[in-house]
Amino acid sequence: MAGPLGQLGRRPGGTSVASSGARDAAGPGQQPGVPLLEVSDLRVRFRSRGETVHAVQGISYTVEPGRTLAIIGESGSGKTVSAYAVLGLLPRTAQVSGSIRFKGVEIVGLGERELREHRGRNVAMVFQNPERSLNPTMKVGNQITEAVRRHLPLGREQARERAIELLQTVRIPAAERRFHEYPHQLSGGMRQRVIIAIALACEPALLIADEATTALDVTTQAQIMDLLLDLQAQLGTALVMISHDLALAASYAEDIMVMYAGRVVEQACAEDLFASVRMPYTRALLDAVPRVDLEPHVLLPVVGGLPPDLSKVAPGCSFAPRCPEAQPDCQAAMPPLEEHETGHWWACWHPCTKEAPGELGE
Amino acid sequence: MAGPVASLVLGLPDAAGGSPQPQPQSRGRGLLRTLEITIPGALLLVLLFFCFIWPLVYPVPSPTYGSVLNANLPIWSPGHIFGTTNVGYDNMARILYGGRTTFEVAAGVQGIGLVVGGLLGVIAGYAGRIVESVLMRVLDILIAFPALVLILVIADSLGQSEMHVIWALCAFSIPATARVARAGTLRLRDQPFVVAARLSGVKAWRIISGHIVPNLMPQLLTFSLLGTGIVIIIESGLDFLGYGIPDPAPSWGGMIAYGQTVMSVSLSPLIVPSLFLFGTVVCLNLLGDGLRGRWGVR
Amino acid sequence: MSSASEAGTAPAGGDVLLEVRHLVQEFVLRDYGRARGGVLQAVSDVSFELRAGETLGIVGETGSGKSTLARSVIQAPPPTRGEVVFEGKNLVGLSHRAMKPVRRHLQMVFQDPFTSLDPRWPVARIVAEPLAAYAVGSRAERQERVSSLLKLVGLDPVRYGRRHPRELSGGQAQRVAIARALVLEPKLILCDEPASSLDVLVQAQVLNLLERLRSELSLSYLFIAHDLALVKQVSDRVAVMYLGKLCEIGPVRDIYRQPLHPYTLALLASIPDPAPGARKHGTRSVISGELPSPLNPPSGCRFRTRCPRAQERCALQAPELRAVGAEGHLVACHFPLSDGAPAPGREPAAVRG
Repeated sequence: MAGPLGQLGRRPGGTSVASSGARDAAGPGQQPGVPLLEVSDLRVRFRSRGETVHAVQGISYTVEPGRTLAIIGESGSGKTVSAYAVLGLLPRTAQVSGSIRFKGVEIVGLGERELREHRGRNVAMVFQNPERSLNPTMKVGNQITEAVRRHLPLGREQARERAIELLQTVRIPAAERRFHEYPHQLSGGMRQRVIIAIALACEPALLIADEATTALDVTTQAQIMDLLLDLQAQLGTALVMISHDLALAASYAEDIMVMYAGRVVEQACAEDLFASVRMPYTRALLDAVPRVDLEPHVLLPVVGGLPPDLSKVAPGCSFAPRCPEAQPDCQAAMPPLEEHETGHWWACWHPCTKEAPGELGE
Repeated sequence: MAGPVASLVLGLPDAAGGSPQPQPQSRGRGLLRTLEITIPGALLLVLLFFCFIWPLVYPVPSPTYGSVLNANLPIWSPGHIFGTTNVGYDNMARILYGGRTTFEVAAGVQGIGLVVGGLLGVIAGYAGRIVESVLMRVLDILIAFPALVLILVIADSLGQSEMHVIWALCAFSIPATARVARAGTLRLRDQPFVVAARLSGVKAWRIISGHIVPNLMPQLLTFSLLGTGIVIIIESGLDFLGYGIPDPAPSWGGMIAYGQTVMSVSLSPLIVPSLFLFGTVVCLNLLGDGLRGRWGVR
Repeated sequence: MSSASEAGTAPAGGDVLLEVRHLVQEFVLRDYGRARGGVLQAVSDVSFELRAGETLGIVGETGSGKSTLARSVIQAPPPTRGEVVFEGKNLVGLSHRAMKPVRRHLQMVFQDPFTSLDPRWPVARIVAEPLAAYAVGSRAERQERVSSLLKLVGLDPVRYGRRHPRELSGGQAQRVAIARALVLEPKLILCDEPASSLDVLVQAQVLNLLERLRSELSLSYLFIAHDLALVKQVSDRVAVMYLGKLCEIGPVRDIYRQPLHPYTLALLASIPDPAPGARKHGTRSVISGELPSPLNPPSGCRFRTRCPRAQERCALQAPELRAVGAEGHLVACHFPLSDGAPAPGREPAAVRG
């Protein structure tokens, strides 16, 4: 007799994804070897009422075409602000320094016109709240065609066809009919699909999903994540998923970058990270999440305190005040982010040294 | 879950840092916002001072006593900065005392509107059902009348006096404030903190006085302030038409009416009171707007 | 109904504290523009029991009616039909005055602390408010109690007593809300997603706090959440809701190890499986389709439109909650998964066929 998932008529999985070669294939016009996105020493500061808030304090990472990077962090880690920097969406009160190169072209310092070209064409973003991203007074189809025609020289009829095609790609049933509907007539999951459709309107090489599934039900979340994966395989899009959910990252991302208080504190590919978690903050994140395989009423190992005030940059490690492994030298100097093991970077003077398994299972 | 910075700067809803606050401004905009409040506020205070306090300490000529010998003096005349009327009354004094009337009426009307209208609106909003329906229908009737006609009818039937003008204008301010108060109360009533108070057994009147009214005050106050300009204009309109403050008591509207009749001969009797009226209303509106921004009222 | 009273036998069970019988909550929607009105049955014939000292977790997704259920229990607003029997007294239809003594023992913690605390009140006053409403003790005694409660939830009363909610972080504000819920020494606290608006680390702090308080103060919780792992963490028994109906209810270990209802299984399968390196492609979403409109739910079993096991009977007859398998484990399904099939585990090998 079929097992539980078999009983549910599970879709054949695993085999429909071609070898990762499809994803790694460079997009059109892409030189092999040149990373799609290269962020170097990105710093973002905001001036507010005389204070300077250091939202992002020097982060560097690359995204290869077709791959998935998860940026993990809590509120105040700087993950959203850094994503907005990549899109050139930061307001003028922000001071951005460092370098963001997309296909070799520098984004920092570009004018508004070039940035508009860049957004949607090269990079697109999917936000957390579908309600906020869709215009409630405009038909869903028109919002897609608007996005399409902003970057591609298509006529109205062609744009409409493309929009319906996109709606089908994001697996919205009865696409022709849905074209004429308003956002409030769609469910949360469908709205998010529409947003994905808009984001993909011009087939950007990079998609940034900022907590795109956080506001969704867990079943819808699964559907949307599967959709994103399939689209990646189909279109070769690279994906940067921003989240606080390490388990989600583990399931879907190849590379994981953990941010805290504006800095990257640990960075590795998913297997390495979970094989041996080094940074105590990452460890704390893992431990603090309730897990289905734990017994009920077990107290979670918890780290007290709050994230630091970003307007005052203390000399030592920003996590030191809360870190269970902290030693006196942690507050004295900021540990640099270094590749201590091949492919595994961390910024800690006293990392978790035991081969602590990061897996959330036995 | 956007962090405190993302929520502040990018306008994203914030997860753990608190309710969204107004965007940070560059220093320039912050300064402008403060000026928007302090300058009109200061001007109004100066005007109030001169209207109410100055005549008590300085021998300002009476606005309703004068010698015909001094009639029709132009502005900048010695002893009569704004000139005199056709019967010799000092215009400056008339401006000041007229201003007193204006402010007294405005304060009276908006004050009564705030208290009575606010109370009615809050009760209607909180009690709901029958009480709300009855109260709102009564107020609806008042609002349904064209405001000016209603005011004229009241003013005409009650006779001319400052108090009657105040009553007449209250027919306008009470329902307007009640509407705002009711809408605000409806919004607040469903807020979890009010539900929580009900769950904790707090009595209705305590919820209203402790939770609803304090959270409603910024909205009501700015509404009242912004409405004061309109009230002043209507009051002046009544005086202009001869329905408000009876002659010879001074009023800006009356002075404007008079200025209109001698317009071909001399412009200053028309311009001076008009400027005062205009300036006062603009200051009130700027102040109201500025406070609304400062207090984050929608 | 007898099955409702059988939904008991909890490990931490005392006397029955709360009994909900055939609860129905309906909202009448008027026609608005093009949207047709109708009757929305947010909670549809729900019955369960909660015993003293235990935590009943209610889990469900959007539209499941779980939050509405919590509001119905506290009579805000009161349910359309049904009974809510708390400490032997039916709360439905009680006047405001008669409810007052009951409210002492029944409190609630809301999801967003920044809207459940009056932004203009200082913390100490917020926590003292229920005491003032019930005129408990003198002013000095009340202050004393507030201080001790703030300390109990981990906030220094001297530092935080005078602050306003907007000066606090999310976690701190939620602690204040918890302190307020505790001040009248309630027996049952309804927690409506108390941690879902908080960051991961802060969420753990708050959950641990709730757990500690439970044992220290002998509390019972009705815990509403959409996060399955979280619900498992805190509950003794779990109830699963879908579109206003109770699908399955039973002891926590049984539900998670041997789910009987296909929806429960789908929920469990949708949890991100943190086994790195194996990108789950097409394996997670074991549930298809969209949530039907609550205004017009499917006939018979409401889950049938998305259930891979649905048969004709499911459209004709709505399944009743009945005992299947382990004691105290009830399910509302015509074709429950009762063949000893384990829940989706980490090893794909467990899936046979």
